[in-house]
Amino acid sequence: MINRRNFLTTVALGTASAAFLSACGQSSSSSKTGSAENPVTITYTWWGNDDRAERTRKAIALFESKNPDVKVNGNFTDFAGYWQKRATEAAGGGLPDVMQWDLSYLRDYGQRNQLLDLGTVKINTDAFDKSLLPSGQIRGKTYGIPTSTNAFAVYYDPAKLKAMGIAEPDGTWNYKEFNSFLAEVGQKGNGTLFGGTDYTGVWWMFNIWLRQNNIQAFTDEGKLGFSKDDLKKWWNTTAQLRGTSAIVGEDKTTQLLPKSPFGSNVTATEVTWDNFMAGYLGDSGAKELKLVPVPSDNSDNLGLFLKPSMLMVASAKTKYKDAAARFIDFMVNDPEVGQIFKTSRGVPASKTQRDGTTFEGTDKLVVDYEKSIEKYLKDAPEPPIVGFGTLESSFKRVSSDLNYGKLTIDGAADAWFKEAEDLIKQNA
Amino acid sequence: MTQSPTLSRRSQSTAPLQQRPSRRRGADARAGYTFLLPWLLGFIALTVGPMISSLYLSFTNYNLFDPPKWIGLDNYATLFQDERFLQSVGVTLSYVVFGTPLKLAAALAIAMLLNSKRKGQGFYRSAFYAPSLIGASVSIAIVWKAMFGDSGPVDEGLSFFGINLGGWVGNPSMTMPMMILLTVWQFGAPMVIFLAGLKQIPADLYEAASMDGAGPVRKFFNITWPMLSPVIFFNLLMETIHAFQIFASAYIISNGEGGPAGSTLFYTLYLYLRGFSDFRMGYASAMAWLLVIVVGIITLIFFKTSKSWVHYSGDSK
Repeated sequence: MINRRNFLTTVALGTASAAFLSACGQSSSSSKTGSAENPVTITYTWWGNDDRAERTRKAIALFESKNPDVKVNGNFTDFAGYWQKRATEAAGGGLPDVMQWDLSYLRDYGQRNQLLDLGTVKINTDAFDKSLLPSGQIRGKTYGIPTSTNAFAVYYDPAKLKAMGIAEPDGTWNYKEFNSFLAEVGQKGNGTLFGGTDYTGVWWMFNIWLRQNNIQAFTDEGKLGFSKDDLKKWWNTTAQLRGTSAIVGEDKTTQLLPKSPFGSNVTATEVTWDNFMAGYLGDSGAKELKLVPVPSDNSDNLGLFLKPSMLMVASAKTKYKDAAARFIDFMVNDPEVGQIFKTSRGVPASKTQRDGTTFEGTDKLVVDYEKSIEKYLKDAPEPPIVGFGTLESSFKRVSSDLNYGKLTIDGAADAWFKEAEDLIKQNA
Repeated sequence: MTQSPTLSRRSQSTAPLQQRPSRRRGADARAGYTFLLPWLLGFIALTVGPMISSLYLSFTNYNLFDPPKWIGLDNYATLFQDERFLQSVGVTLSYVVFGTPLKLAAALAIAMLLNSKRKGQGFYRSAFYAPSLIGASVSIAIVWKAMFGDSGPVDEGLSFFGINLGGWVGNPSMTMPMMILLTVWQFGAPMVIFLAGLKQIPADLYEAASMDGAGPVRKFFNITWPMLSPVIFFNLLMETIHAFQIFASAYIISNGEGGPAGSTLFYTLYLYLRGFSDFRMGYASAMAWLLVIVVGIITLIFFKTSKSWVHYSGDSK
């Protein structure tokens, strides 16, 4: 039988234990250099899909065979989860020794002394284009070495277009022409194939459009360089397409995560970085994908630029500076690593690596694409501000709400500006 | 349940205890605290300590890397102007209000079915409990994501009956029903407790009621419900608190973003995003403490109202 006093005691105990939390600690070893008999182990982490994981494992195996005194413990996640993990680790002082890094987050961690100044260790940068290295530097310190460069492009699947009897685009198009192209694909796709995703939801495409209109995204003081009206005008570009078969619905996109609609063969085109080629080929199983420049209303100014597609960084707290530096040097310079990755990280930034790599088939398409837009390339964009990663993801989220019809264009612009101004104030 | 053994042990031991010299009692206490020590140290270092520091952090602007800056009540004040925060409160409340009663109703119904004497009851009990063992795991959330996608089993099954809802995962108005179904399906833990409670109701009460001509409905409302009310109260309290804390399944199903269109932006998920995506630990701490306070108030209300509907057998009424 149940008696009040005992029962309430049990409830109280149960409630207390329900609130019980757990935490995990970490252990570390103290040795600094290893030998072939007693190698040191460094940790390396990257984001990407299975294709990149496979290539990275090959590169690590090669490094270990050349450096028997170092073992590399690799680990990867998708892009979104990647930054949450790094934040948790940074808070606990346990960042991996070497990490693949994105320009968007370089300031957040570099300025806050989480990353190793690579100027203090031995990494050979002689083979790098001198205009590219500053993108990994903040206030005179080198926090990241670019592995490779990438540029924005429109992908399309020629086989899908051919099956629908649509001519392949040549990439000399303005926004109106691009939109009618998407609409045509959607129309002939019969509800199973859509034109593309809503490209106005991609921050970097917006950035390119701003550059096409000679507007800086961020001022030198770290403030927003564009107005709410600019943003509204941008989101209005595809206002007629939202909810039609020209653009794949957010409900579909959400379900396909972490794969992209293009990689899942749900759309015929995608507007994004040119180094996604290998990933898209792997995900979609398509024989061939092609690249053309992004649309612009000013055919002399495509707003395009080369950006370090990713950087290699080391943790400021690493105990194995020497091993970490050797691994970074190997990943960015070794010609055999170039052969393993081809263009899946972007076009290799180091000339040694680039010259040591044979580009064939689709990889050649990426290299050729970057050559073809050379005359349109302008300086790389101003270094993103602290907290840029958050701005980028909220841009995507607000755009997605816009596509769900949860927000109007005005409401979306208000919502994003509120978040952006709040964030800039917070980090000031 | 565990009350009876505790009760009997205590009533046996109180009598000799009074005759013992106080020196002996002090030694007992020391031994008790010694045995308690490992837990106590962990509790202080891993729970109380972090809670106190998070209380402090909730009054600061803290980005994980730089030292925290004291800003007083600013975090708490900003909360109520943050539309995403208000959205997360709405999402969580609707989950608690609809999910918890449904889960308890399912648990009670199954417990009553399993309480009858039938062959193979042991098997059925294990089978019905299984979902709650695996339900909170990552893999199940992934399976549910696949089941409720476009052309997944649920979509196909409903289409067979002419209901075309499409995938639930990508549809902002269907994600909440999906999350509630996921929690209802994990009825195992409250079910076991209900079952134990049902077994303690004396069979003679039902026999007497049958003699007087009471039907199953009357027996349920006049015997089962009042006799079981302490257990119902316990389960209601625990499940409500649990529901407020939902995180893992929402995190996985929405890819850690609370989408689509913020429809799975649960309170704890937004707290996590604020802390670990936006590096606003002070803000996240303020959210955490607000949750502690609100859950505390709700628990208090439950205890206050329990007097009117929870009946304990020891009571003279």
